[in-house]
Amino acid sequence: MRIGDDITVLAVFGMPFHIKPLSFTWSGRTIEIREVTYTWKTKEGQKDLHHFSVTDGNTLYELTFDAVSLLWTIESLEA
Amino acid sequence: MSPIIMCIDMDAFFASVEQQVNPKLRGKPIAVIGSGGRTVITTRSYEARAFGVKTGMNTYEAKKLCPDLILVVGDNEKYAHTCSELSIIYRKYTPDIEIYSIDEAFLDITTTQHLFGGPEAIGFSIKKEVKDQFGINCTVGIAPNILMAKLASDIAKPDGLKWIKPEDNETLLEDLPVKDLWGIGSATAEKLEQLGIRTCGELGKAPASLLRNKFGIIGETLKHMGQGLCDRLLTVREEDPKSIGHSMTLPIDISDREAIKAELLKLSSMVCSRARKYGFVGKKITLTVRYSDFVTFTKQVTLQVPSNSTHEIYHNVSDILASIRLVDKVRLIGVSLSQLMPENDDQMDLFATDAKTKSVLKAVDSLNDKFGDSTITWASYLKTTESPSVISPAWKPSGVRNTNIKN
Repeated sequence: MRIGDDITVLAVFGMPFHIKPLSFTWSGRTIEIREVTYTWKTKEGQKDLHHFSVTDGNTLYELTFDAVSLLWTIESLEA
Repeated sequence: MSPIIMCIDMDAFFASVEQQVNPKLRGKPIAVIGSGGRTVITTRSYEARAFGVKTGMNTYEAKKLCPDLILVVGDNEKYAHTCSELSIIYRKYTPDIEIYSIDEAFLDITTTQHLFGGPEAIGFSIKKEVKDQFGINCTVGIAPNILMAKLASDIAKPDGLKWIKPEDNETLLEDLPVKDLWGIGSATAEKLEQLGIRTCGELGKAPASLLRNKFGIIGETLKHMGQGLCDRLLTVREEDPKSIGHSMTLPIDISDREAIKAELLKLSSMVCSRARKYGFVGKKITLTVRYSDFVTFTKQVTLQVPSNSTHEIYHNVSDILASIRLVDKVRLIGVSLSQLMPENDDQMDLFATDAKTKSVLKAVDSLNDKFGDSTITWASYLKTTESPSVISPAWKPSGVRNTNIKN
């Protein structure tokens, strides 16, 4: 399911360019991330978008971090 | 010092990435398919291979062989990013690398292997880094040349490591079918069989004159291949491209010329913006058309003055289309620009309009570079379909062959 909502994410930013989301809040509900299954990066013009495929153990989510606006988005979910 | 070449081949690359992304797919038979309406299998997991599912099969055939097969729509952006990151891992061990395809690379570790504990130590380190960073497996083949390194990785698949030393060649190749050698396809294997040559051992011992008579100048090369010899060096530095082209398989076969022209504008724009980005102009424009029945042909036109202007390429390619009597619905179209040469910015424009067009295109390119592809584009694009992109076999993580990958 495609979503595209802004979300609040608790994440650890390490070096070099290592970002690990731990949990996120979407529509008032906080979801604990059990595993970051894959990460990848794309470019939209000069803007870097960091993508995270994460799971809470039941559902697979794709989260995106926009390195320019510093906003997180939930892109999709797959139960 | 004899060369030491390493071949690194990702195991069932696209399928392994998808299984890593989604834990529910791990250990299950899956096949990766394109995102368009066309459903041909691009790769499949080892669990699916066990059922006989093959690349290029349509999903109906595959499901017949493996009813529990899970079809996953591929995500080119993930694969392209992973390929770029893999090249960073390889460069820790040697600067001499050739990214051969999105899931395959050759490394020349001749002069650096001693710094890392030898070829096998490098191979195991790379396998571990790939597993730790991406959760996927790769196979490593090591040999004195790329032909044997590729063979070593083919033999060791999946998740293996094999080192073929020069003294192992004869024993290894003696009974190996010729078609197992990289570069010998089924047509060549069939022709060799007509000469009574089935194994690499037989190929290596065959008289050069016999092979020359049958295959011409590559006869000698084939003999050397049968002996495990290969003098092709790694293409470490990207050579200037001979052509810049884009093609697309349409979501559905079409015959409406206006619809085809709208797609041609899109392709012309992609070709020209890449040519401008890397500073090339070209004299020859080629239109490729593939009909529903896969019959494919090309038609070309040569410009008097080389160009990278979208308008000019589009108008010429449209003229080519107008000159063709389409006998069937069109499945795929392609536009390419060849006879390339460096663009000379200082060259005086004969017509003021050329200078104006150049300025407009430059402004459009710079806005699209900053804000993303198609931020500024032709209104005619609105008539085009959203075609799924396919990673070209020539795709590279950097340079002129690095095209923007979109799903």
